Amino acid sequence: MAQNPRPTSILETLGEELVRIITPVSICMLLVVILVTVLSSDSSSTVTVNSIATIAYTETTSDSTWDKFVGALLNSLVFVAVVTLVTFVLVLLFYLRCTKFLKAYMGFSSFIVLGFMGGEIALFLIEDFSVPIDCITFLVVLFNFAVVGVLAVFMSKMAILVTQGYLVVIGMLVAYWFTLLPEWTTWVLLVAMALYDLAAVLLPVGPLRLLVELAISRDEEIPALVYEARPVTSQDSRAGVGQRRVWRDRRNENSNDVSHSNESIHSGLGENGSSRLNFNVNASENDSTLVRAEEGRVPDRGQELSAPLLEHITNAQQRGHEDAVSGESMVLEGIGLGSSGSIKLGLGDFIFYSVLVGRAAMYDFMTVYACYLAIIGGLGVTLMLLALYQKALPALPVSILLGVLFYILTRLLLEVFVVQCSLNLIMF
Amino acid sequence: MEASRSNPEIPNPNPSPRILLPSSSSPVWPTIDGPLGLSEEDSVSYARRFYKFGFALLPLLWAVNCFYFWPALRHSRAFPRIHHYVVRSAVGFTLFTALFSSWALTFGIGGERLFGHVWDQLVMYNLADKIGLTGWS
Repeated sequence: MAQNPRPTSILETLGEELVRIITPVSICMLLVVILVTVLSSDSSSTVTVNSIATIAYTETTSDSTWDKFVGALLNSLVFVAVVTLVTFVLVLLFYLRCTKFLKAYMGFSSFIVLGFMGGEIALFLIEDFSVPIDCITFLVVLFNFAVVGVLAVFMSKMAILVTQGYLVVIGMLVAYWFTLLPEWTTWVLLVAMALYDLAAVLLPVGPLRLLVELAISRDEEIPALVYEARPVTSQDSRAGVGQRRVWRDRRNENSNDVSHSNESIHSGLGENGSSRLNFNVNASENDSTLVRAEEGRVPDRGQELSAPLLEHITNAQQRGHEDAVSGESMVLEGIGLGSSGSIKLGLGDFIFYSVLVGRAAMYDFMTVYACYLAIIGGLGVTLMLLALYQKALPALPVSILLGVLFYILTRLLLEVFVVQCSLNLIMF
Repeated sequence: MEASRSNPEIPNPNPSPRILLPSSSSPVWPTIDGPLGLSEEDSVSYARRFYKFGFALLPLLWAVNCFYFWPALRHSRAFPRIHHYVVRSAVGFTLFTALFSSWALTFGIGGERLFGHVWDQLVMYNLADKIGLTGWS
């Protein structure tokens, strides 16, 4: 006698999806904060990087505020220009179907980030804590770490946990590198990247939008670094080959039997209650080039992967960060839904959120808490907009602008309040 | 009544859960990801590739192999071919880790007393300073 399955509440489907994307973002931010606090405690050695983001102006503490601001603005403009150029090159390469080259480049840049930048940060830690490790052990461990990381990122069918872990680590390493930039440059750069993201994804001429449209029209995946959350499977998933890249096969079916897919939507809706958003039913009717809404289920296989949020495309953005060793790493920005109904968040988003929180950590932990809440709130708003608009959306603008706003307000207003309260033993 | 008592070999007719179905204890999926992972044929080729690449001084790859195909490691009867490679990967990983950690611990704990002059030349932070690796060029 089978037990009646517990009806799934909205906490278990929608909430679970959100938690599965917020957890890695939080972990990445936490790791960057820890790195920043541990490594910059001895601030006598200010490690400044010469990179493309400081090519126009190197900040010195003796300049006036206005000079610093103008310098930072110039730096950011140069950086955004380089990123735009590189993204257009990426779109061109994708258009010319150089997918192998792009994948190889992605693997190469992951190796550089994990091997060299990971190695440098490990060396910082070793020197700080005087860990008695010898060079042979260090090299073997680093080699292992980098090669397995490249395989995890490169191969589509690796253990999900391993891939996700390595993506978070790559985000953390790049974000730590960005926090080494001068202060004003970092803040202005964050705002500039948020505005660039907004323009690149939503404007019809934006490179990211072109990339996404190309990917949809060709029914291919963009070869780039994207974090994909594990999809939420319903209770009754049984045998049958479930695929993480469901949409590639079903795309051919979709145009033929829309009715069939509708049928499974209704059955799914009836089965799991009204916890799914109602947009599923309407959205599957139209098959426009930008909106690609599928219910994430394989009707003929009996496998059920639920998609509480609608399915969208990720948008891509290429980050160009230069140091003497590394080239450019291909990271993805923007938010979307993966093929099996899981949420996809570009690695660029991880990086810039962590840069913001890392910079806030360089001032005080108060700003860290405020900025963390702002970013998570912004991410929630972005996810809601994703479900509402059913389009590829930039994940940076809302969170970054909220984060910068909260940082400024905390430094100006909250800090004074908290310090005075503590001194007079009223609170904290 | 007579019939039931005459044959004490008849097992308890009550279908208690003592009846073990062999299929209930063996998993359907060879990977730890379950239905999101690989099918069995792909799994064999992946397990074999991970095992072979692990010989290139990559014990972490062997560890990932064991982690990924954990159900195959536990239930050897269900996935014989995968079990073959995963067991060898596990053995290789433990062997390599034992050797390597013994060297690393000897180096770390022994220190200068054991190695003398060479220790200063081998230890990482001195080496990094000498080569100037942390200059963030």
